Amino acid sequence: MRHVRALLARIAGLFSGPKADAALEEELQAHLDMETAENIRRGMAPEEARRQALLASGGLTQAAEAVRDQRGLPWIEGLTADIRYALRSLRRSPAFTAIVVLTLALGIGATTAIFSVVRAVLLKPLPHREGNRLVYLRQSNDAASEIGFSVPEVRDIRAGAPSLGGGIAEWSSWTAVLQGGEGAARMSIGLVTGNFFEVMGLSPVLGRLTRPSDDGPGVPPVMVLTHEFWMSRFGGDSSIVGRRVRVDRNSVTVIGVMQPAPFFPSRVDALFNMVISPHHLSATMVEGRTHRMTELVARLAPAASMRQARSEVAAVYARMQRDFPAAYDPGSHYRVEVVPFQQVLGERARLTLWLLMGAAVFVMIISAANVANLTLMRGVRREHELVTRAALGAGLARLRRLLLAENLLLTLAGAGLGVLIALGGVRLLIALAERYSPRAGEIRVDTVVLGFALALSLVLAILLSLVASLPKEGTFASWFAAGGHRMSGGLRKQRLQRALVVVQVAVSVVLLAGAGLLTRTMISLSNVRTGLTTEEILTMQIPLLTLGQAAISDPQADVRAKEQYELMRSEIATLPGVSVVGLGSPMPLRSSDVAFDVKAEGKTFAPGEAAATAEVRTANPEFFRAAGIPLLAGREFAATDRADGAAVVIINQALAERLFPGEDPIGKRAAWTGDVLRFTPISGDWRTIVGVVANTQDGGLDARPRGVMFVPFSQLVAFSGGLVIRTDNDAEALVAPATRIVRRIAPAAPIENVRTIAQIKDESVSPRRLNAALVSSFGILAMIIAAVGVAGVLAFSVSARTNEIGIRMSLGADSGRMQRMILKEGGVLVALGLVLGVGGGFLAAGVMRSLLFGVAPHDPATFIGVALMMAAIGTLACWIPARRASRIDPAIAIRVA
Amino acid sequence: MAGKLDIQQGTLALMVLKTLDVLGPLHGYGIARRIEETSRNRLSLNYGTLYPALLKLEQEGFITAEWRQSENNRRAKFYALSAAGRKRLAREAREWHQTADLIAAFLGRREAP
Repeated sequence: MRHVRALLARIAGLFSGPKADAALEEELQAHLDMETAENIRRGMAPEEARRQALLASGGLTQAAEAVRDQRGLPWIEGLTADIRYALRSLRRSPAFTAIVVLTLALGIGATTAIFSVVRAVLLKPLPHREGNRLVYLRQSNDAASEIGFSVPEVRDIRAGAPSLGGGIAEWSSWTAVLQGGEGAARMSIGLVTGNFFEVMGLSPVLGRLTRPSDDGPGVPPVMVLTHEFWMSRFGGDSSIVGRRVRVDRNSVTVIGVMQPAPFFPSRVDALFNMVISPHHLSATMVEGRTHRMTELVARLAPAASMRQARSEVAAVYARMQRDFPAAYDPGSHYRVEVVPFQQVLGERARLTLWLLMGAAVFVMIISAANVANLTLMRGVRREHELVTRAALGAGLARLRRLLLAENLLLTLAGAGLGVLIALGGVRLLIALAERYSPRAGEIRVDTVVLGFALALSLVLAILLSLVASLPKEGTFASWFAAGGHRMSGGLRKQRLQRALVVVQVAVSVVLLAGAGLLTRTMISLSNVRTGLTTEEILTMQIPLLTLGQAAISDPQADVRAKEQYELMRSEIATLPGVSVVGLGSPMPLRSSDVAFDVKAEGKTFAPGEAAATAEVRTANPEFFRAAGIPLLAGREFAATDRADGAAVVIINQALAERLFPGEDPIGKRAAWTGDVLRFTPISGDWRTIVGVVANTQDGGLDARPRGVMFVPFSQLVAFSGGLVIRTDNDAEALVAPATRIVRRIAPAAPIENVRTIAQIKDESVSPRRLNAALVSSFGILAMIIAAVGVAGVLAFSVSARTNEIGIRMSLGADSGRMQRMILKEGGVLVALGLVLGVGGGFLAAGVMRSLLFGVAPHDPATFIGVALMMAAIGTLACWIPARRASRIDPAIAIRVA
Repeated sequence: MAGKLDIQQGTLALMVLKTLDVLGPLHGYGIARRIEETSRNRLSLNYGTLYPALLKLEQEGFITAEWRQSENNRRAKFYALSAAGRKRLAREAREWHQTADLIAAFLGRREAP
């Protein structure tokens, strides 16, 4: 209690002003007077009495100091004094302060912003309970990287892998339309087994989640909303639980909202029990080994290790392939992987993010090096001041504390400004991260991120304080002796400065090389020909029937949908500016996940050769003209290719080359094939090839075109059809009138992906562009900072050598020679940095190989260009101080020294 | 200063409290005089020892301070024992007696030099 009281009193004492000092002085004075009076009373002479009293007092000043220490908290007062002093000295050199703070802010800001993304996407533990025990199972083959599992496969894995004893959560991705007047929306849904949430370790934020009693036929359909969809669609309405909504043609009860959590491989809006899809309960689904529609996440059994799980799953999988050879075409190389769920969520982002993190850290290093150099130079200029302070009694510890306080102020100011930069940058980065990771929603500048920035600034402050070398204790005398002179800062210090400059140049070159490669990647991507002849095309998808409805083949609904599509097509065609409107699915430049093995008449695959696959796409007679897809051979579809007419197809060039290399495919027959067709509305009947069209970049601008078979729109169920509207002028201007027509014809249908071809193309390029822009700005920033560093160090060297230069010039060296001397001094540093940087750049380029497109990792043009640019900037940076050296007047230079 | 003893903070606090207990409110000079006299001049208090100790006692709430006129009509700061101070004095005096008895019994009695 009394300690608390004393502490409070002392804190209060911190703020006691001059009044307390005056009172103290009066008190001590009174003591002295009384003692003097007493001495006089004892018979001393007044002078002597006072002298004796003073002697006994032990010194009034010392006493006052001791009391003051007791009054407040001396170390805080020392600290505030240091900070006040540091502030004053920084205010005296505003240019230095501004440059340092700004440089640090850029470095810390970039690093902090990217750290916040790296943390959220890669490092932070999953929100799932014991998320580190979750593993993702992935089946893939040469044609597809995610093919999912079939129910019999899941059954085998469950039986044969006891290490996955924590349970196997299954879900299959599906789409459904949430009805609701104008606002009908297609949802990405997951059909889940009752154990799903238990295995995943997810809790509801509202209501309840599904449980085993929701499994099987004959139970009421229920729906759990993901947090994201609940917020975006229902505005976080907490009365949603228990509400009945219409999904497709079912009435479904919303039972709860789950906590925010990422899904993989694709986003999910809501989760349903299986009963909503009769197909999922049907025998085809349950018995078909090739009917792979299920994603798997398993929880490791309590004692099981990742390695155990891998070997068990591999053993089960080998047995499956042996027992059911028909389901695993040997040529396609079916394989299975077991990957930690957290890792799989970050896998697409990992390389890009670490690349950006590396770039940001490089900028950080360069800016720190620059600040260190500035501090070194300033330290030399301040030696005089420090010597004076030392002479006045400031101990070494005190000087160190002063420097630390000053550096702390600088780095903290830098960190503060840096965090502001990061706050702005994070928004940009979220847009980037959304393309790569389902965890982008978790990105935020939170306490950990702020702590990161703070720690960064503390470490920097300490490093900077170490760089500024103070004399060793006891060598002040030599300092005093040299104190009057301008000093060169010693050999050690100069070497350090030079090393820092070399590092700066090298790191800048690495960054610029990376930036150059990414920029060239972006340019080659934008130059990729989409396969379409024009970009003034508007596309919109209107899924009148979902895959679910199409799969159960409701002939009546299909006929109605086709009538509606035709009505939309003909009405939009009459809009002014519209030249032609096509119908089809999916839209050009959109990837399709519906693809099956194909066979062709007269084509046999060599043993071990992968089966050919072709995407399922539909097109009406106008589709290719509207999309601007060139016809290479044969004919387009015609009005005569009716539902009851002969089965015909148009194939793309990629498929033609795959199935009929060196032959004319027109008139030949091809068909989809494979066991899995049984589960789809697509027949394996032979179809006659009537035309060949050019490839289009549907899977992204950097993807190899896949084989495609186009079926007449009239000859296949109309699942997720869309309109391709070609115009003579501005495609974007058609959005409003076209949407109005669609709304009138199908008021309840969702309208999706209303984009011009130019926009779709841009979406494919934009993550790369952002990537390239970020690394480029880092690179340019680094180059500027490095140039300032080179110029600064040389300028400093010149001013330190003024005396020497003066002597040389008075001995007959001309100014040109002096200029060359300084240029050479800087040139060596820049050249050294260049060599190191190009070497580092080669290494970095190898690491980022997979992010590049259309440019070799060791692209000579990029590297030569970067080296030349850096050399030019470096020379310019050297030239400025060199000029100054050449203008030194020898007479003045010698006199000053 | 040979022969004079250095004084420990805790001991000084106890002496101050006892002085104020015996003499009532007193200024710093009076306290110093009293302690020096009681110690038969074996202790000498310089200001740098005394005043921080007084301030500390004040901060801890064992004594209170007040500006008053001194006996010779000079303004001086008078310190007085608080209730908490009286309690502390009683407790510490008891503890000191016990310790002193114990040490004395342990070392055996010896005439003061």
